[in-house]
Amino acid sequence: MSYIFRYDIIKNAYMEKSKILLILIFLIAFFLRFWQLESNPPSLTWDEAAWGYNAYSLGIDGKDEFGNFLPFTYLESFGDYKPPFYAYLTILPVKIFGLNEFSTRFASAFFGTLTVLLTYFLTIELFGANLKVKRKHVEYLAALSSFMLAISPWHILLSRAAFEANVASFFIVLGVYLFLLSTKKYKIIFPLSIVSFILSTYTFNTARVVAPIFLLCLLIIKRKNISMMKKEVILSMVIGLVLVLPLAMFVITPQAKLRFNEVNIFSDLNTVETSNQEIKNDNNASWSKIIHNRRFLYSILYLRHYFDNLNPLFLFIKGDGNPKFSIQDVGEMYIWEIPFFVTGLLLLFRKKEGNWWIIPLWLIIGIIPAGVARETPHALRIETTLPTFQIITAYGLYNFLVFTKYRISKIKYPILAITALIITLNLLYFLNNYFFHYPREFSGEWQYGYKDAVNYIKEKQNNYGQVFFTNSLGRPYIYLLYYLRFDPEKFRQNALIRREVYGFVHVDGFEKYRFLDNLGEDTVNVIGKRVMYIDRPEKIPGNAKILKEFYLLDGEKILVAYTK
Amino acid sequence: MNNKLRNSLLIIITAVALFLRLWQIGVVPPSPDWDEASLGYNAYSILKTGRDEYGKLLPVVLRSFDDYKPALYAYFIIPFIPVFGLDIVSVRLPSVIFGVLAVVAVYFFVKELFGKKEIEFAGNLIKTEYLALLSSFLLAISPWHIQFSRIGFEACSGFAFNLFAFLFFLKGLKKEKYMVLSFFLGALNIHLYQSEKVFTPLMFIALILIFRNEFIKLSKKFIIISIFTATIVVLPMVFFILTNQGALMRAKGVVSFSDQTEFLKRNAQKIIQDRNNNNYLGLFSDNRRIEYAKSVISGYISHFDINWLFITGDISRHHAPNMGLLYLFEVSFILIGIYQAIFGKFSSKAKLALFAYFLIVPVPASVTSGVPHAVRTINFLAVFPLFSALGFMTSIFFIRKIYRTKLLYKHAVGILYATLFLLFIVNFFYFLDQYFVQQNYYNSADWQYGYKDTISFVTPIMKNYNTLVVSNQAPLDQSYIFFLFYLRYDPLDYQKNGGTVSGGFKEDHKGFLNFTFKPIDFSSKNPDRKILYVGRPQDYPGNKKLLRTIYFLNGEEAIKIFEG
Repeated sequence: MSYIFRYDIIKNAYMEKSKILLILIFLIAFFLRFWQLESNPPSLTWDEAAWGYNAYSLGIDGKDEFGNFLPFTYLESFGDYKPPFYAYLTILPVKIFGLNEFSTRFASAFFGTLTVLLTYFLTIELFGANLKVKRKHVEYLAALSSFMLAISPWHILLSRAAFEANVASFFIVLGVYLFLLSTKKYKIIFPLSIVSFILSTYTFNTARVVAPIFLLCLLIIKRKNISMMKKEVILSMVIGLVLVLPLAMFVITPQAKLRFNEVNIFSDLNTVETSNQEIKNDNNASWSKIIHNRRFLYSILYLRHYFDNLNPLFLFIKGDGNPKFSIQDVGEMYIWEIPFFVTGLLLLFRKKEGNWWIIPLWLIIGIIPAGVARETPHALRIETTLPTFQIITAYGLYNFLVFTKYRISKIKYPILAITALIITLNLLYFLNNYFFHYPREFSGEWQYGYKDAVNYIKEKQNNYGQVFFTNSLGRPYIYLLYYLRFDPEKFRQNALIRREVYGFVHVDGFEKYRFLDNLGEDTVNVIGKRVMYIDRPEKIPGNAKILKEFYLLDGEKILVAYTK
Repeated sequence: MNNKLRNSLLIIITAVALFLRLWQIGVVPPSPDWDEASLGYNAYSILKTGRDEYGKLLPVVLRSFDDYKPALYAYFIIPFIPVFGLDIVSVRLPSVIFGVLAVVAVYFFVKELFGKKEIEFAGNLIKTEYLALLSSFLLAISPWHIQFSRIGFEACSGFAFNLFAFLFFLKGLKKEKYMVLSFFLGALNIHLYQSEKVFTPLMFIALILIFRNEFIKLSKKFIIISIFTATIVVLPMVFFILTNQGALMRAKGVVSFSDQTEFLKRNAQKIIQDRNNNNYLGLFSDNRRIEYAKSVISGYISHFDINWLFITGDISRHHAPNMGLLYLFEVSFILIGIYQAIFGKFSSKAKLALFAYFLIVPVPASVTSGVPHAVRTINFLAVFPLFSALGFMTSIFFIRKIYRTKLLYKHAVGILYATLFLLFIVNFFYFLDQYFVQQNYYNSADWQYGYKDTISFVTPIMKNYNTLVVSNQAPLDQSYIFFLFYLRYDPLDYQKNGGTVSGGFKEDHKGFLNFTFKPIDFSSKNPDRKILYVGRPQDYPGNKKLLRTIYFLNGEEAIKIFEG
């Protein structure tokens, strides 16, 4: 029985207190996710720009940038076949706020904030079942978990950019929460839980592996409860099948595999070479063929990539090596969490409170898809494990607080004060680095410079018959579309699109804009038109007349507009 | 278990340990590295003249390559030189002997630690006897321990000394004379390996604090004798450190933040930005002491990386190729074992002592660069076999329990046991192959292979040349020590001519006989002198007469010998 629905029997004064706590946490979460959302991260990546523009395009005529009507299973985008749901979620914000950084990131920040709220209720469902301590304590634990997610560097960073993974995480958390609710009393919620899991698979790739495995495990373990709600199960199966079928059809197509092959470890030939060499070193003995079997070596390689995601330096010190997912100064979690995370994990297994087993199960399953990828550890691909890490820390912290309160109550206040001080200082350290130093130091990682360049083009383009833009920073076309708010229909009519065998989509130009790898050589034949060139500073020819220079936030020159 | 069976099992384990450490000693790994060569030659020098290569009488510390090695290990080598000569086998034998002694010591250590005959873990009574035997066996076959007890690295003996010191400390709490022995061994350890200067004192402080009540009850006489003995033994080292400025150089060289400018590069940028913007929070939070603290914590927790322990290891001299430091099949047992050790029902003091030891192990390494570091944390090997054994035994009990409750059928249990056994066998044979066959192939370059063949080629022809120039550039740096070692050059003669003058890595070495050790270049030409060059493959200019190429064991070129 869930306590959150039994507020009526709890004293009013107490209810007020826990409500205020929750509202406070929600406000912190909201503030940390929405403050300066448009300017930190300092600019839009290609993928963010693509989400925004596709949402813009869908909002106009229901077609994506390339003219596919209401794409259901994927957006072609740059040939990476994005699961499309994030674009649909962004239509409304773009309609309301216009096509800009804020509206593009809105869905991620919004669902991120909701995940924090949801974590509170989820924790109550997880530990509320057969609780050994007072009811009030579960709410404290829930508040702590929710607070941990609210201030989590991992979750804040991923909530502040248009990362579809962050929305997928929300749907998984929602799915688990609704599942637990339905197995208790509210049977009718069960189909909603299934729908939520399915929505996550339309939102992010790794959820396509995590959601089915996780749901299956939940169904098996809770089979007794499930067998009592035949009607709901049948209804869910019907809805589920209808929703999953299109995706299942897509997943077995070659396009879907392209993306997978590009990033997976099993195409790594070194393993085969090692296997062959080691068998050769054993004079091709048959026993050697067994112990050096390549499948065996691939399994170990997989485990290595899997465990990479549990590397303590990744978790607590540096975070993901990609500055888009970590500020490099703080890990995916705070350094002070180490002792609480460890004790939390141990006590979780020791005390076996409520549905404690869901947390380790969730964490283990959440990393499964990331293990097959080459770049590990990867904060984004294992985001579906959130908020398990935060709940574990909160559980450790909660038990520590209980311990201080009852066992060493004499020195309770100094200990609490020191703990609170350390947590606050670490938070300030993170906030200072993230809001003050991060945008300047890593603006290049966020493709800074495109916006300034496109705005300059927008301002001066009437004087030029042709604009040549370098490809060397990657995918310039999407920024022109985005910041010019270019009419999608016009784009579809005159875009020069080139599709590679490997699925990648290149846009070589549209209207008077051309995108080239090498402006110096490829543009000699332009006759009779005034041409504006935008290129990397080191590639400017001697006879160029510099029009304007564009800088990263740390002062590095990134692009130059010139004419001849 | 009766004593007879126990004794014979212990003897078998010792025999296995001895066999795995002696078989092909000197052949695998294929050659001494420079530290081994240096220890060997200094031992030889002390034996013949009483002085080391620098002419220092009965040194407490060997200056060697300016890394100031504690000298005790060299003294351990001395007794073997009359028997085996100045040979790689003599250098490695002390390690083998202390390695095997450690295997035996673990048995008594586990029994002493738990004290009782049976201990309750998760509701199962486990016989300490079995636990001790299994721990001892697991150390006997431990890849990590075998790696270092087959080579002349001081660390493995240092580990044995710590283990004995711990064991005799526990015994000494009951029988006082053991306490003297414990302090003596602990103090001696200071002279054995750098890390022990930090680890061993911390271990003693922790033990005395944990067992303070028992320790104070010991007769004052023995406490005073213990402390007095320890002081006498430590004194020469203290004296050396106080009188030699160079002694701390090694410490400075390996400390991770010794290279200030690189370490604080990003930090310096941030402080400039804080100053320019009057960001007071930033000036506080970007304090460089925070970076130092972070680096120490980072070094510490880097040793709790599953990949490092079980799959990858660190640099190639520290583990067999393509595997980690511990068996992969142990991973779950060690995790379960740690959990059981925390929550098992045995004396809380023993528990504290065990975990104090476990948590102190990474401390010396945490301030150094090149972490995680298998040599500096070899003291882990007192606890990992114990955790593994504990995890294994509780797992077996768990399987038996669910079998009794009829949840698992007889055949399922049989299959489970068979799978476990198969995993162990495959993993064990995989290790044996990686260690004894693959290691020489892959890692001969890391073991600085090639000098032996080079020197036996050069020896008969060296008198035909006025000068022999031997490169001292990486990877042939400190090549002089290999020539001293393999030529068994008379130390008295060497010292008469000045001995080693500087251990500096970049300086030329004036050499001995007609050898000069310096980078090979042909700029200063002296046509009437006949010169033999021993150099790296890239030192060979092509227009000189090539006499011989020495190859690594994987067929790549190691050393080229040419004249001109």
